[in-house]
Amino acid sequence: MQIKILVIVCATLFFTGCATKKPMYDYDEYSETFYAMKRETSAETQTEWQNTLETIIVKSEDRNIRVPPGVYANLGYLHLKANDESKAISYFELEKSIYPEAIHFMDRLINRVKTQP
Amino acid sequence: MNKFKLTIVSLLILTIAGCANTMVTKEQEFPDMYNEKPRSLLIMPPINMSTAADAKDYYATTVEMPIAFQGYYTFPYELTSEILKQEGIYDSELVYDMPLSKFHEYFGADAVLFTKIVKWDTSYLVIASNLTVSIDAEIKSTKTSKSLWKYNGTVVIDLTGNNGSGGMAGLLAGVIATAINTAAADYTEYAREANGRFIGTVPVGPYHPLYLKDQKIKIQQQPKQ
Repeated sequence: MQIKILVIVCATLFFTGCATKKPMYDYDEYSETFYAMKRETSAETQTEWQNTLETIIVKSEDRNIRVPPGVYANLGYLHLKANDESKAISYFELEKSIYPEAIHFMDRLINRVKTQP
Repeated sequence: MNKFKLTIVSLLILTIAGCANTMVTKEQEFPDMYNEKPRSLLIMPPINMSTAADAKDYYATTVEMPIAFQGYYTFPYELTSEILKQEGIYDSELVYDMPLSKFHEYFGADAVLFTKIVKWDTSYLVIASNLTVSIDAEIKSTKTSKSLWKYNGTVVIDLTGNNGSGGMAGLLAGVIATAINTAAADYTEYAREANGRFIGTVPVGPYHPLYLKDQKIKIQQQPKQ
């Protein structure tokens, strides 16, 4: 009986321990909307993907965790495709600011945008 | 006598099981990952060896997340694959044996991740049908172009539903049988599971709390080819 109680206590501690631990990233519906876009390329699926990217940023800020790698860059790319260059650059800058590994690539993109007529 | 027999049988089973699952530490298996300490991974477009033409695009949507959770900076695939296409690299097979330093020059990537879709289909046999998703994954250095890590993830699902051995496959079978009957089944769920079979063997990257602390973690050794 005593052992049983001990097991239950341990199990409870273990699971609550897991539950309160902050996740590394919040990807929201990232792969689902990405897949939907690959399956059917349309304005609608692309908008849904963009919404997801924006939601990821909001949720990550709310939970005080790092925005996952590539999310800002992907958003920048969407704005670039929509010819909104200044927004694109600001997202590329944000990607750089949280991931030094991205600096080289983002700078290359920013330069390309700036030097394009 | 009976006891003796039992002991022999048990020993035999243990030996065989031991052979099938040789456990090694991450450090023993992939020392170069710890020597080079790559921080960023460029995900290459998957090499598709399966009969499903659309597997490449679909599978590609499942790769970024697990690699990021393993602690690496992953370059935004939608953007990088577009650039690679513009640069004439649509088939990763073409660059697999080439010097990879240009990916460091262009993207600043420390390493690249090649994935090969070995199987992505359902085989209908007389008495059974199986859904198989099998992925070979390999990380190569952009400094030396050498292989740093390599593993396979395979998921086989018995669609007939009479899987006596149970396990994950047995549990899932009923659900999938219906999914497969719909015109175009979504295999990405099983691709994620296949990814799950290999991802844990990758030494974790700089954004993971266990960075450079997982050398002694044991993994199942891959059969040497």
